[in-house]
Amino acid sequence: MKLDLSGLESTAPHFGTSDGLSHGFPTAPSFDLPITGDFDGFQKEAIQMVKPAKGTTTLAFIFKEGVMVAADSRASMGGYISSQSVKKIIEINPHMLGTMAGGAADCQFWHRNLGIKCRLHELANKRRISVTGASKLLANILYSYRGMGLSVGTMIAGWDETGPGLYYVDSEGGRLKGTRFSVGSGSPYAYGVLDSGYRFDMSVEEAAELARRAIYHATFRDGASGGVASVYHVGPNGWTKMSGDDVGELHYKYYPVTPSTVEQEMGEVSGA
Amino acid sequence: MESNQAKNSLLSSHDNIQRTQYPYVTGTSVVALKYKDGILMASDMGGSYGSTLRYKSVERLKPIGKHSLLGASGELSDFQEILRYLDELILYDNMWDDGNSLGPKEVHNYLTRVMYNRRNKFDPLWNTLVLGGVKKGQKYLGMVSMIGVNFEDDHVATGFGNHLARPILRDEWREDLTFEEGVKLLEKCMRVLLYRDRSAVNKLQIAKITEEGVTISQPYSLKTFWGFSAFQNPTVGAEGSW
Amino acid sequence: MTKQAANWSPYDNNGGSCVAIAGIDYCVIAADTRMSTGYSILTREYSKICKLADQSLMASSGFQADVKALQKFLAAKHLIYQHQHNKQMSCPAMAQLLSNTLYYKRFFPYYSFNVLGGLDTEGKGCVYTYDAVGSYERVGYGCQGSGSTLIMPFLDNQLKSPSPLLLPAQDAVTPLSEVEAVDLVKTCFASATERDIYTGDKLEIVILNADGIRREYMELRKD
Repeated sequence: MKLDLSGLESTAPHFGTSDGLSHGFPTAPSFDLPITGDFDGFQKEAIQMVKPAKGTTTLAFIFKEGVMVAADSRASMGGYISSQSVKKIIEINPHMLGTMAGGAADCQFWHRNLGIKCRLHELANKRRISVTGASKLLANILYSYRGMGLSVGTMIAGWDETGPGLYYVDSEGGRLKGTRFSVGSGSPYAYGVLDSGYRFDMSVEEAAELARRAIYHATFRDGASGGVASVYHVGPNGWTKMSGDDVGELHYKYYPVTPSTVEQEMGEVSGA
Repeated sequence: MESNQAKNSLLSSHDNIQRTQYPYVTGTSVVALKYKDGILMASDMGGSYGSTLRYKSVERLKPIGKHSLLGASGELSDFQEILRYLDELILYDNMWDDGNSLGPKEVHNYLTRVMYNRRNKFDPLWNTLVLGGVKKGQKYLGMVSMIGVNFEDDHVATGFGNHLARPILRDEWREDLTFEEGVKLLEKCMRVLLYRDRSAVNKLQIAKITEEGVTISQPYSLKTFWGFSAFQNPTVGAEGSW
Repeated sequence: MTKQAANWSPYDNNGGSCVAIAGIDYCVIAADTRMSTGYSILTREYSKICKLADQSLMASSGFQADVKALQKFLAAKHLIYQHQHNKQMSCPAMAQLLSNTLYYKRFFPYYSFNVLGGLDTEGKGCVYTYDAVGSYERVGYGCQGSGSTLIMPFLDNQLKSPSPLLLPAQDAVTPLSEVEAVDLVKTCFASATERDIYTGDKLEIVILNADGIRREYMELRKD
């Protein structure tokens, strides 16, 4: 088996490649592989040591006005929260968003790589890449690394010539077209809210509120999700960020503290 | 891309080569320190084959080029391979004939890369190396481990020495130790190691490197005293179940 | 023949903690100087902070040999960059270079935990934190290494700035003056040293501002 590095092509610097200055540095970046008979075992061990296993809630859905994309922002390593401000909605280009679930580095790197490929497609074809095309590009790359331990669960959402587009892509090689997805450890909770509140003909505001509520309720029940609930909308003119709210504060929006009458005051006990 | 294709033959046939190895003949601790005029280094001359004391006259301190002194613990055959690399390195450096010569810092750095590159190939050189030297009035003392961990310090010790000798060195070491004081301190360390490290033998060498060059002592023995009460009946007061 | 060690690991954890704080026009980056393996201390004087360019500093803990290899690689890359562009690499550019470098070792990772600090192209302080395989994030303050779980909550408590993800956006800059930031860093390490066996000996603080680079040291517990 040969490792497919086509995913990395054209990310090489365009000059200084053959001037001898960069001697000893591979001109096209390449992955260093451990020389071991037990690649899988090594991978398992190495990843245990270094990777922040991420609990996540992300969701996206298509509705009348375009696509809504939302996510939490927590990253954890075991029980330790390593960050409360992860940007899990990755801005691939002004018309396309990707979401991040699984390995943070895997998602970040391959989305950055996808962004480059999409831009090159634009330059070569004088038109923006379709969401279908972009998601397939990503899915094919991830498939070529199948079995090597990548961990990606992403949704590619965007607006192209055919209107709104939404795909789910994962590192096992899966690629699904759909109108409603949620990915990550908090997804069951998010689906619960999403499915019960979803209507195709929502307004942008209604859709944003549904997305926000779904993320909030997922962070409420899933310990591995939390931080800030970010909501993005993708319309014909590209994406806009609708909101970013600390879920700790959202709690008081969904469950306002109501002053209740005190039934009985505790008083000093007199006597013995 | 062509070079990548060659490198990335993951899971292909040659991956089944057995590399996981273990040391055969090993040397134990090396202890070294900076003193007033340069570096002092000590090691015993035992070569262990597992727990068998197989060789008793192994030289583990070697001069490298004009300004450096190398001490090694771990697999002795790997040490000899390293010496061959260094011979070549020094020879090629000499061939420039430019009046420059590699100093201890450069040699140490080279060793660092050799050790790290071999660990990257999953085929490590099973040694911990100590490199000391003096060049242009600058004293240098550093260490490299099997997997490439490396650092400089005023005194270093490998293996058991790190546990037994360095606490002594941290307590008694001074920047301005004289040669005699330095040797005395090293002997104190070596004696403790001899008492408590089962693979240490009472035949050691001490090497000195200064601006003038390297001198390695003839093998000699330390005076020992085994009459400590703790050695007389070690199990006294230790009630076991058998 | 007895096997001394039937197996060996290509990795070791040499410990250490790193902290970086970004201010309006400065960046403070600090790390202890202890290097350990298991329960033994290898040296009490190992600098974990590396100057990568005029405006970027990296502090790294983890496996020292990998860290050294990483530093050498970045130094070489930066030298080539200077030859090609006749200028120093900016801190945000260095941040992405570091991310990519780490990711190219995705299948045989550098066991290194880095914080990159410096000044961005506008002269504002910036801090980037990384995981070992290259995911990164720009933050107001960051912490990595063996004592990070002790230091981070303290930093959150003292500095918690509004998340950069909030909308409407709130000013996320650390509200401290340079002197206050240095003092805070000293406090963090004094505390971490009390409870983390891999942190101690000495604290090295590097302060980067418009005037250039300044270094400070503080002794820590040596037990």
